[in-house]
Amino acid sequence: MLKKHPLLGFIFFGLILFLASNRVDELRVFQGATVAVYVIAIASIILLTGYSGQVSLGHGALLAIGGYAAALSRNHWGVPVWLAFCIAVLAAALGGYLLGLAAARLSGPYLAGTTLALAIGLPSIANQFSILGGEQGLAFDIGLPPATLGADFTQYKWFFWIACLAALISIYWLRNVMNSRYGRSWKAVRSNDVAAELAGINVGRNKVLAFTVSAGLAGLAGALLAMTISTVSPGAFPLTLSFSLATGAVLSGVTTLGGVMIGAVTLVAIPEIVDSVVSRFQSSDVVANNLPGLVVSALLILTVLFVPNGPVEQMRARREKRAKS
Amino acid sequence: MIQFINMLLIGIGAGSIYALMAIAMVLVWRSTRVINFAQAAMALLSTYIGFELVQKTGNFWVALPLAMVLGALFSALIEIIFIRTLIKHSTSGPVAGIVPIIATLGLLGFIRATIGFIWGNQNVQIPAPLSKIGFTVGGETIALSPMNLLVLLTVIGMVVVLGYIFQKTNLGLSLRASAYAPEIAQLAGIRVGAIRTIGWAIAGAAGAAAGLLQTVNGTGALSPDSLEFSLLLTFGFIAAVIGGLESLPGAVLGALVLGLVLAVVQIYISGTLVFIVAFVLLLVVLLIRPQGFIGAKAGRRA
Repeated sequence: MLKKHPLLGFIFFGLILFLASNRVDELRVFQGATVAVYVIAIASIILLTGYSGQVSLGHGALLAIGGYAAALSRNHWGVPVWLAFCIAVLAAALGGYLLGLAAARLSGPYLAGTTLALAIGLPSIANQFSILGGEQGLAFDIGLPPATLGADFTQYKWFFWIACLAALISIYWLRNVMNSRYGRSWKAVRSNDVAAELAGINVGRNKVLAFTVSAGLAGLAGALLAMTISTVSPGAFPLTLSFSLATGAVLSGVTTLGGVMIGAVTLVAIPEIVDSVVSRFQSSDVVANNLPGLVVSALLILTVLFVPNGPVEQMRARREKRAKS
Repeated sequence: MIQFINMLLIGIGAGSIYALMAIAMVLVWRSTRVINFAQAAMALLSTYIGFELVQKTGNFWVALPLAMVLGALFSALIEIIFIRTLIKHSTSGPVAGIVPIIATLGLLGFIRATIGFIWGNQNVQIPAPLSKIGFTVGGETIALSPMNLLVLLTVIGMVVVLGYIFQKTNLGLSLRASAYAPEIAQLAGIRVGAIRTIGWAIAGAAGAAAGLLQTVNGTGALSPDSLEFSLLLTFGFIAAVIGGLESLPGAVLGALVLGLVLAVVQIYISGTLVFIVAFVLLLVVLLIRPQGFIGAKAGRRA
């Protein structure tokens, strides 16, 4: 039944998540919210890289646009939370549209390097204009959870609910987009742009559109990220964030949305696991500081060398092979 | 007037170090068609090796060439172990184009974490071998110190040596041939695999020089997370791309233009804007003249 009605599946999964959030402690709830944010951000990279063949190492910059847009609109105009999120999506999509116009003319490594330069460059703008709050950044307060949810409903649980709802809606929507005409055109462009053009697809416009949609999702992720840490500042969107998101996308498998949870959970879980290992063996600070980076990079290299299409796609291919023989 | 001259000097000084990094990028691109995002991490490792050598020998002049040799060896090793596996595995499919980018990115993180394991995350200090106080000309102190002069001379020396190797020797001819048309070069009896490794080795040496000179020319502080290296990575890449990514003179020219533009921004506008200006410069060059200042016509657009 769930196969036939994916929407039911999403609602069911959402219910389980919301019930589970009552059972676990605050830290886990906060980590859950972070996973939900990563799911959206990684999905936006998968859409861009896996479905339209463009690489972005600078998604952190688009997240930053979303975070700042949400905080600015809420602080200056006092808009409701949901509207702040919408503004974040629109602002980042606009940025993505402009970037996409340039990106459609660039291929592989050039685009990767250009977005990398953007990820390093953009946060420095915040230090230049006082309205953006400089190094300290801006506060982003979405207010207390509604009183109807009960007195012991914590702030983090509220964050978790919002982030999960946003993630579920985004993934469901994205899934439909991928199966629509646009998704098929993007896949065609990725696989062979000359053939796609011959089939009547406007390659340039499709690439720009993919970039715009991806950036909008990234903006939503940025606003949600700002929500979970209650501030936006240049330090919240470092180059390492862009790199981790790209890592998460590769670990999930860039060609399907199906594995998007894998990357997001890995990004949140590895520091946690390493922490517990380090405290178990009482290792030094040096190990604690560098082991997560080492493990993630090693995983990234191994994935890209041996399962470049990601675990989900790999399993599907293996199943098909077995079915044939 | 004096401010203008200082600006020129700062720009050329910074640009010359980016030039080394850009040369490294170009050499790797020409030999394997890979943009090596791990170049900065490899330069960082060589700089740490240089730091150890300065500690052991107490002499910067011994440490610099030794670090360059070790950097070259390490880079060749990476090519043999890592890049060859990579090329064997990434044959086709929708992700073939992004595999090298992601893999070198993974390498960047891996080397960085390894450095953290070995040397820790605190700053270490490499003392400057020469004075960093500017020369005095006609009662005014200009922004050119003996240290800057050393950097400039080293870079010019390296560019001249590389230019000689590329234009006048058999090795240079093989390097150019296998970059231009690997299969034809192979048919002509050139061992393309070995030549690739040599290209990587030279890039490693150039990166090592860039890392060490950048560090002693700056504050002398060195840490795995230091800003200097994300600077080298981005600006080296930008310089290489605006120079055309195919030619060594292009890389040097691109680096000098970048250095001068950034110096103008730094002195007349604001130091915090250099990164975004560099990004805009890259974007403008890519959109207006996608083949770079000196570069072949085709192949840059999607």
